[in-house]
This record gives sequence, structure tokens and C-alpha cells, in this order.
Amino acid sequence: MSVRRRGPRSTIVRILTYVLLVGVAAVVIFPFVVALSTSMKRPDDIFAYPPSLVPEQPVTVPAASLGLEGDPLPVYEFADRAGQYALVETDVPLAEFRPLDDTTRTITLPADAGDKTGATVQVEIDGALEDKPVFVIEVDGSQIEAYRSRLTVGGLFQAVDNPGDTVLSLVNTPTPAREFGPRLENFSEVVTEKQLGRSLTNTLLVTLAVVGGQILTSILGGYAFARIRFTSRSALFLLYLGSVMIPFVVLIIPLFQLMLQLNWRDNLVALIVPFAFSAYGTFLMRQFFIGIPNEIEEAALIDGASRSRILWKVMVPLARPAIATLATFGFLYAWNSFFWPLVIINSGNPESKVLSLTLSTLGGRSSTDTNLVFAGAIIAMTPPILVFLFAQRYFVENSASSGMK
Amino acid sequence: MALGLKLIAAWHVLGVGVCLAGFALASRSGDDELPIAIRVLLRVFFTAAFVANIYAAVGVAKTWRRARTVSLVVDYLVFVVSVSAALHQFGFFTAIGDFGEGFNKAFVPFLVVAVGLLWVLIAQQLLARNPAATGPRALRAAGKVLAAVAGVWFVVVADPSGALSSIASQITQPLTLGTLAVALCAGAACRFMWARRVATAFGTTTDEQQVLTGLAFLSPNLIGFLFFFAGPLLFSLIVSFYEWKTTGTGRTFVGLDNYVRAFSFDLSNAPAANAGTEVLKPGYQVLMHADWFGQHWVLGARDVEFWTSMRNIVVFLLLAVPASVLPALGLSSILASRLPGMKVFRAIYFVPSVAGVIGVSIIWGQLFQSTVGWINYLVLRAGEILPFVDPPAEGHPWLSSNSTALLSMVVVFAWMNFGFNTVLYLAGHQSIPKELYEAADIDGANTWQVFRRITVPQLRNTTFYVLITTSILALQLFDIVWILSTPEPGGPDNATTTPVLALYEEAFQNNNQGYASALAWVLFLVIFGFTFFQFRQQRDEATAGGIS
Amino acid sequence: MARVNFTNVSKVYDNGPRAVDDLTLEIDDGEFMVLVGPSGCGKSTALRMIAGLEEISTGTLTIGERVVNDVPPGDRDIAMVFQNYALYPHMTVRQNIGFALEVARVPKREIAERVEAAAAMLGLSEYLERLPKSLSGGQRQRVAMGRAIVRSPQVFLMDEPLSNLDAKLRVQMRSDIIQLQARLGTTMVYVTHDQVEAMTMGHRVAVMRKGVLQQVAPPQELYNRPANLFVAAFIGSPAMNLITADVTVDGDRVHLGFGHHHLAVPAVALERYPGLRTRGGSQVIAGIRPEHFAMEGDVEVPDDQMVTLTTLLAEAMGAEVHIHALLDVEPPSIEGLDPAADDADHLTGTGTKVIARVDGVHSVSMGEEVRLAVKMHLAHFFDPDTGAPLR
Repeated sequence: MSVRRRGPRSTIVRILTYVLLVGVAAVVIFPFVVALSTSMKRPDDIFAYPPSLVPEQPVTVPAASLGLEGDPLPVYEFADRAGQYALVETDVPLAEFRPLDDTTRTITLPADAGDKTGATVQVEIDGALEDKPVFVIEVDGSQIEAYRSRLTVGGLFQAVDNPGDTVLSLVNTPTPAREFGPRLENFSEVVTEKQLGRSLTNTLLVTLAVVGGQILTSILGGYAFARIRFTSRSALFLLYLGSVMIPFVVLIIPLFQLMLQLNWRDNLVALIVPFAFSAYGTFLMRQFFIGIPNEIEEAALIDGASRSRILWKVMVPLARPAIATLATFGFLYAWNSFFWPLVIINSGNPESKVLSLTLSTLGGRSSTDTNLVFAGAIIAMTPPILVFLFAQRYFVENSASSGMK
Repeated sequence: MALGLKLIAAWHVLGVGVCLAGFALASRSGDDELPIAIRVLLRVFFTAAFVANIYAAVGVAKTWRRARTVSLVVDYLVFVVSVSAALHQFGFFTAIGDFGEGFNKAFVPFLVVAVGLLWVLIAQQLLARNPAATGPRALRAAGKVLAAVAGVWFVVVADPSGALSSIASQITQPLTLGTLAVALCAGAACRFMWARRVATAFGTTTDEQQVLTGLAFLSPNLIGFLFFFAGPLLFSLIVSFYEWKTTGTGRTFVGLDNYVRAFSFDLSNAPAANAGTEVLKPGYQVLMHADWFGQHWVLGARDVEFWTSMRNIVVFLLLAVPASVLPALGLSSILASRLPGMKVFRAIYFVPSVAGVIGVSIIWGQLFQSTVGWINYLVLRAGEILPFVDPPAEGHPWLSSNSTALLSMVVVFAWMNFGFNTVLYLAGHQSIPKELYEAADIDGANTWQVFRRITVPQLRNTTFYVLITTSILALQLFDIVWILSTPEPGGPDNATTTPVLALYEEAFQNNNQGYASALAWVLFLVIFGFTFFQFRQQRDEATAGGIS
Repeated sequence: MARVNFTNVSKVYDNGPRAVDDLTLEIDDGEFMVLVGPSGCGKSTALRMIAGLEEISTGTLTIGERVVNDVPPGDRDIAMVFQNYALYPHMTVRQNIGFALEVARVPKREIAERVEAAAAMLGLSEYLERLPKSLSGGQRQRVAMGRAIVRSPQVFLMDEPLSNLDAKLRVQMRSDIIQLQARLGTTMVYVTHDQVEAMTMGHRVAVMRKGVLQQVAPPQELYNRPANLFVAAFIGSPAMNLITADVTVDGDRVHLGFGHHHLAVPAVALERYPGLRTRGGSQVIAGIRPEHFAMEGDVEVPDDQMVTLTTLLAEAMGAEVHIHALLDVEPPSIEGLDPAADDADHLTGTGTKVIARVDGVHSVSMGEEVRLAVKMHLAHFFDPDTGAPLR
């Protein structure tokens, strides 16, 4: 960028400028961050509220660390206790007692705890009065009187760092402890179970074929338009330029009919062959070839080289930047195209689907498994973004003349 | 050579016969389904081919100068058509699609091949810089070996035997053999006529040779252009005058009926504000109500969905285009300055436009989610901090509310496209003379004045171009709506239906391809209005590059 | 090696002028032929016709005995050096020089040998693996030469090959090319707009104007016997002084008058230009080369061949002094000559500028009146309307 201005001079304006730029960048990046985090979330984590950017997983401790055997044990946290507790035993019979002096409080003890005093107390349960036997239970070393409100089952919790500290509690009283834990299996699952793998390779195949075809035909056509004088060249070229302005919707029905006639419906070839010709690419190559000095070609002609030899041995090596530009645009176009695949790959057969199509089915209105859908979206978006980042130079130079997106 | 010329002449005589037969076939009236227009086209084609073949036959025998050109063109076209037909009969094209399976199986070897080729590419880049270096040479050799080995592995794993056996089974078919024979003959004829000594014998001038060379180079492109672009375009126009179903026999010429149907309106005076179809002509549905001059009016149309979609797209255009152009104008002015880090921001802003509309729309669908979506959550949090934001008690259903569904899509569209527009503007900034800014600095203009009085006027052409391209893109809105609208595409209550969506449903769900083609042409004319200016601008640029 | 013959060759562009108009020119085997003329005179077009890069509208062109009108460039057995060298930027020097041989399917061993031999001849041996962009202008020029000589073609074509070099290198390369051509003995067609180059290099020089061949002759003859006013004005540096003069014929004696000056035309000049005698009472254009002036006393001339001029500008060049003066007569207009040639006339006002080249022993200052002897017996005389010499 040769013509560049100095930025604002005052420091405050500079800082504000950067704040604005960073703010816009944040708006741009935020959805991708959400997508990345969701793509690594566990199924039970995706509908958590408030939404979180951190993919989390339940904390577990290996049983051996508590001197036990078996599977890793889930870890919980109690609201009224410090530290983390592992659930070491489930289905422990429990009794819930309510002290007589404060019947709103509950005390959880083993089912066989407490001794009946023989007395009864009248309590109100669901609006009806009931007589309950009174027990004496021991809490924190003191004996208190209480009645047993119910018998249930719960879990035995043991402090992770203190084997002597155990708590009996209903399992749903404490909250499960969570920690940062990306679930990378989402990616492999969406690739295998949701058939995204096949779509991925299909898309790659289509994209490579389209890019290859476009490069080949555009080089040949661009060279003819740029360097070989033949009758009606200008008229043909104007026709090509004009074709750029025909919106694809006009072509979609006749192309569909054509594919039916050729029996190409539901076949990847329908995504390849009609798109191996690019008026834009021809234009791009022509402009580049025109810029190569005529004398170089004339020198090659005098050296006895044929037109095709000149093209492949002299012009094409010089046209590498233009070819790279064309390849990048072609790649993005073919990789991201959706409307035409939607029309022509419509039998529901996953074997011939491409990424955008699979993704739209997965992530459509009735979508489930948001984490898997987002893993798929990340898989689909990464290649074009990488291609863009590597080929940025060509983009910035040529997007102005392209008019295509 | 004399024998060769005789054979070529005989070959063209054969061509004359085939053209006559073709003409007769095309004129045969009866149970064929060919529309008149296509039949006329076929007749014209066969007549032209007939004349060309006669000229070539006589001309080659008498070595007329131009006969070589005509003969070459005819033979080349025959060659291309027959080779394509043979490949089609072999199932070569569908085999490309079916290769998807083998490619999937052989993906790992493919990646290895790619790595090998990448090494070669890198080595070549290094060699281009320093041809004498030895390290890159070794890398190039290693890359070639790797790619070759993995290539064999690829073929083994991909297992092309199925495709090969299908070709083998086809090759015994008489029709295939015939096509192949025609292709071989035409190819041989081309080769013979192309030779230098034949050119000398015919006295071909350098100019003529240039024309042939040029057309030969252009031919792959031109044939593809005609077959997959110009032909379909014409066909689309023809179909739009028919009632045309994909399947079945419903293909009747209806003249302009499809267009008439699209433009049928009925404005009725209604007794009550909520009057419905009963006040309209039969076949019309309510498009909108209005209260003018103290009276109730009902506007009806035969195709309500299309006109609703037109209304939607106008609203969309009016919102989305400024939303994706104005930020670009402002940001580009900052990015064009010489502050450090501008390239990084430029790259970041560009990413949404390359990431792929489907993935992006899915992400935004989640952000707009009413219960656990981030947008509602952020609005809620903003309400806690900012006193003037009044968050609703429960999350707003952005996408399923009539009033905000289209607006949400404007947001997604603008978010996707402002970065691209920014880069377009940056290109425009390069053509502003630096001296203008220096002069303004000397005159003591402040940043805003510079932006308002220099940058914006100087970017007028770019702005024009950006507005046009963005409008064309917005008019063809489809993908975002397809993913985001709920509960069905275009929903809720057709609040987000777009013309392309209406066309898609008409053509591929209701199977009214004739009417849908008419809609496509209507839409095309609307877009054409925008594109025409862009076309003129592009043509001027191309002409500046030296079209003569 | 071969002769190159143009026979009535014309080049007409669509709705444009004739770039080359009815050119008939024979270039002998082994001859160094220079095509010279101001820009747009058709010299490059003629060269490109030999190369096959430009279509021939009418007429025939032969190389050797073969009519090549419709022979493609590669089949003509010619080599060309372009003004901007046209090296293949992506190929090394070795590949550049060897490309033509590679195209001709010469065995690799032989290519290497011939490329190295050519490189050695041009002093490029150590640059063979370099890319053109890492070479200096002179080296690139030599690579272009190498590309031409490695093929041992029948004809060398050079299109202003030295104009992109600086002055010193140009002089060096000039002699290199002369020696190279002498050593190889290959027919050479050399295009330049620089008449010094043309005079020093060519066996014969062809002067062109507006597509029309003016004169073909060895350099000395071109200088001493210009075929018309244009050639007279174009050849020579500083250019010949061309003065519109009134002719007075008085029996045997012929006088020229211009402004308030008078010069007698001696009998020797009248023998060479007998047509002058018939022009009594009308105007002619007298051509006097700057070196045909001398300071009074340096040469013996009769009094009626002396003029007194006021020095407008005196350029001391060491061996000689150029005295510029202005004559009070309308300058003749010569169609087709570069307008840049008569530079800075607007500074001196209207009038004919003359330059006299006198011995460097004299010191002349601005505004000084000098009395100059004119070697009128060497002067030339042309018809002011047709430009034809009055022979």
C-alpha cells in the first residue's frame, strides 16, 4: 500500500481508534469463539444458563486415591462445606430427621440412626396432621430430639483430601464440581456418526476438481483473449464480461433440467463439470497475461516455440500470482457453495452430499446435538479460513477487481 | 497427401448425409416432446452443419484456402462432441462422482500425496529465488518420491476397478463403438489438416492460422460457456413461456401467462379493515391492507408469496446495504492509515466473508437462541450495567418473532460482508493522492473534516461499486434465510421469505418450473438494473487494459 | 547465412497509415545493414517483418531463396535481440540461452556445450546459473546476444539493442557487436534511431521516413551525397545547416542571398549541382555542414565566400568550438523529422539557427562578431518544395 496516511497524531485519539478497532474485532471474533467452545462442550453442557465460553466436564478422582477400587469417582461441592467430596457409595439407606425445636431444619443420618423415645409428636404434612414418633439423635456430640420425616437413599461422600471426613447426603444436594474439559470426541463423532467425513472428502474432491478445471480453462481462454488476434475476439470477450452479471438463479432451473438429461443428478459430477469454466477466471488471467511484455512472447516465437509451449513454459510460470489468486477464489467458491448442491443433490443419500449440505441438515431447524453440529461447523470453516490467511496477499490485491464473493 | 485430402473430402460428404438425416429427425412431427423453439434451433444447427460440410467437401477437394479452416472447425467440433458422448456412455462423468467413495477410503494416502507435492512446491519457490541451491533440490526429489509412492498407495486403496470394469462392459456396445469410431476419425482428420505442410498446400495465411490457434485455445472455455451457460440461459427463457413440470407430460406453451400471473394485482375497496379474499377476484389472495382517504383497501395478488418476498427483500436491502457499507467506509479510513497492526485487523475483518455462509448462519442461530442464546444474555447483562437498557423479563425470540426475524438476518448479512467491503474500500484509498491529505493538513483541517471533505468524495467511485455489488448480493439472499428462518424456510408467517426462496420452492417443491423460470427472469431484470452500472464500469476497466 | 530481400513490401494497418510503404531493399549475405530514421518511420516494422512478428500486407520477403511471407517466426532461422532484451525472467542465464535449442530438440549434451561456448564468447561463463533480475543492464544485454548467437542463425535482427544502456557501455557494446558480426560473418539487420550508431556500425545504412525508404548507401556516401533534404538533415551531428537562400544567376556566376548575407557559389559546386543554374530568381535550400565553416585565415577562400555572424552561443568542446548564430530567414520545414531535433528554437526566436564548427585554438565569446570562411565547394543544394537535390 504505497499511498498511506499518517494516523491521528494525538495519543488519546490513537487510543480511541484502537479501542474501536479492537471492539469491532471482538464482534467479528466472538461468534467464532462461541462456536469453538460449543464444539468442545459435552451434551449436558450446551444448554447451561448463563451461557459460558468454557467447555466444562465433571470432576472425578481415581478410586485408588481414596484407597478404593473401581471406576473414577465423581466429585461434588457442598454449599455449606469447604473442599471437594467424592461420591464413594450410592444407594445408602438414609433417614431424614427434623429437630423438634426447629422443624425447618433437616439432618440426614444413616437409616438405622436414632433411638425411639416412644413419644410422638404431631406434625402437619400436606395440610393434614399426623402423629410421628420422636427419636433421640446425636448431632455434633449433643443429643437432640427429632422426628423422622422420611426414609430414603443417598450417597456417602468422602472428602478428597481427608479420608476421615465423610458426609451422608442426598445425591442432589451438593452440586457436581466442574472443571475445564474440552470434549474432543465431538469432532470424531460428527465425522463418523453424522457422516460428515464422507461429506468432507466429497467437498475436497469437488473443490480440487473445480479449482483445477477453472485454472486450466481460464489459462487457455485468458491467453487466447490476451495474446492471439482472432476475429470477433472483442465481441466474444464482451460476451464473457456480460455473463458475469447474469445471476445464478436464472440458470438454476435449466441447469437442473440439463443434469436430469445427463443423468448427473445426485452425482458429484454435477457440482464439478458445470463449474470448471469461469468467466471471472478468464478475465483475471487475461488481465495478467496482457501485463506480461509482448517481447518476451515474441522472443519465444522467434526461438521456435509453439503457442502451447510458450503458454506452458513461459507465460504460466510468470503468471503464478494470478493463478494463486484464481485458485483461492475458486477454492472458496466451491467449498462454500450451497444453493446448487441443495438443488441437485436432493435424494437424501449421504454418499453424495457435500459439507454445506450435511451441515445445513444437521444444524437446521430440528437440530439436536448442538455440540456435534458446531464441531461440524468448525471442521467446515477451518479450511477456507486457513486458505484465506495463507493467500491473503492475493486477496487484498485482487478482490477489488473481482466483484465476486 | 493427395490421398489424405480425398479421404477428408469423403469424410465431409458423409457429414452431409448425417446432417440431412439429423434435419429430417428434427423436423419429424409426432409424439416427441421437443418444444418448437428447440426444434427450430436444431434445424438451424443442422442446416449450418450441412452447408459447412458441403463447402468443406468441395473446398478440400479443390484446395480452396478457406476450406481448411472450415474443415478444421467442423472436424474439431465433431471430435469434441463424439469424445464427450463416448465418455458419457462409458459413464466417465458419473464415475467422477462415484469416485467420491474411493477418495473417501483413500483419504490418508491422498494427504501424503499432498504433503509430497507441497514439498515440491516449496522447493520450487526456493529454487526460483536461488537456482544454484542444493538443499531445495533434495527436498524436491524427496517430495517427488513421496508423492509417487503415496500415489500408488492411493490408487491401490481407492480401488478404481469398479469404474474400469464398467468401462470395459460398455466398450462392447455397438453405439459406444460407433461413437468412438467417429471420435477417432474426426481426431485423425483434425490432426491431418492441422499439419504445416497441409497449411502450406492450402496457402493458409498467418492471420488465418492465428484465428485457428486462438479458437483452439479458447475452445475448452467456449464450449463450456455455451453448454453450461449460454445454452441454459436461452433454455430458461424458453421454459418461462411454458407450463413445465420436471416429470410427467405437463409441458404446454402458455405464452406470457407465467409473467401475467406474476404481475396480477387486484385492488379492492373493502367494507371492513380486516376484509379478506372474499372482496378480491377469484384466485387472488390478500397481499396487504391499507387505509387511504378514509376508506379500507385490500391489495391482492395471484402470487402473494412472491410479492411478500419482494417486499421483504426491499426492506432487507434498505437495511442491510447501509449496515454493511457504512462501517466499511469508516473502518477502511482508519485501516488506510500508517498505524501499526492494521494488517492484522484487516485480516480479522475479512474472515467472516470467507468462512462459509452455512457455518456462520448456524453459529448465529445459536447466538440468537431465545432461552440460552448469548445475545439475550448480553442484553440482560447490559441492562444491569446501563440504566437506559431495559431488558425484557424473558429472552426475546429473535428469529421466531415477525418483527425481528428479518432484522436478525440483516445483522448476519452485515457481519459477513462489511469486511469484504472494507478491503474494497482500502483498494479505493490507494488511488487517493497523498498530496490531498498533506494539503489538508497544512490547511489545518481536523480528522473529521478530512474524512468528510476529502476521503468520502474521493471514494465516490468505490462507494458506487461497493453499493452495487452489495445490493446484488442482498437481492439474492437465500442461504442465511434457509438456515435461520423458523419454523419453516421463510418463516415466521413469510416474514423472511425472499424472492430466491420463493423461486426455489416454486421450482423444486411445487414443481412449477415454467412459472419459476418466469420469476427468475423478473428477478434477473431487477438485478440487471443494478448490474448494468457495474458492467459498464467493469467494461471500462477492461477496455483500459487494452481490449483492442 | 543468407540474403534478405524486400520486394515492394507494404504494411497497412486497419484504418491506419502505411507503416511501411513499398519497400524494396536487398540485404547481402554477411552484410551489416542498419535501418535508421526518426521514431515512427517504419524501421522497426520492417525488422519485425523479417522476424515474422508483423504480417506483410503486400509484396514479398525472402530470406535466402525462400519466400517467408507466411512462414512462422520459429521456422525462419533468424535470431533477434530486443530493446528491452525480453529475457525469460523465470529462467537462468543458461536456460535463457539454451531455450531455442531445447525447443529444437537438440541433445542435452550439445545444448550445454553450445551454451557454454556462447557464454564464454560473451564473458558470461560465471553467470550461467543466475536469474536475469540479478544481472546488470550490460550483462542482460549480453545474455540477449548470447541467446541470438547460440543458434547460429542465418540472420541477426537487432531492435535498438543499445538504447537501454548508459553512454559509456553503449560505446563499448557498439564495438563488441561490430567485432562479433565480423567474426561470425552473419547477415545482420540493425535498427536504431541514433544516426551516430548507424554511421559507425553499418556496412550500409538505410534511411527511412514515414514508411518510405529514402536512401541506402555506405555511411560515407550517405554523409557526402545525401539523396534528399531529409537525409541531409538527418545524418550528421551537429546537423547540417539548412538555409533558405535566394539565387541570383549572373552569367557564369551564381550568388546566394539570405538575410543581409551573400555567398558566391564556386564552379566546383555548380558542377556537382548543375540544377542550381536554372534557379535564378527563386529560392533553394543550401546545406552547409558545420565543419565546412572555418575561422577567417584558417583556410583560403575568396572574399565572396565569407560571412560575418554574431555569436549567439559559443560551446568550447576542446578540439573545436561550436559557434551558434541566428540568421534572419525563415527556417525550412522538413517533413518527417523529429520536432525534438530542432530544440529550443523558441528561446532564440524565429530565424534559422546555424552552427559553425571551428578550430579549438580560437576563443570566442558570446555576442562577438566573427568572420567565417565557408567552404562553399562542399555545400549541398535542394529544391525547397520537393527536397530533391539540384543535381
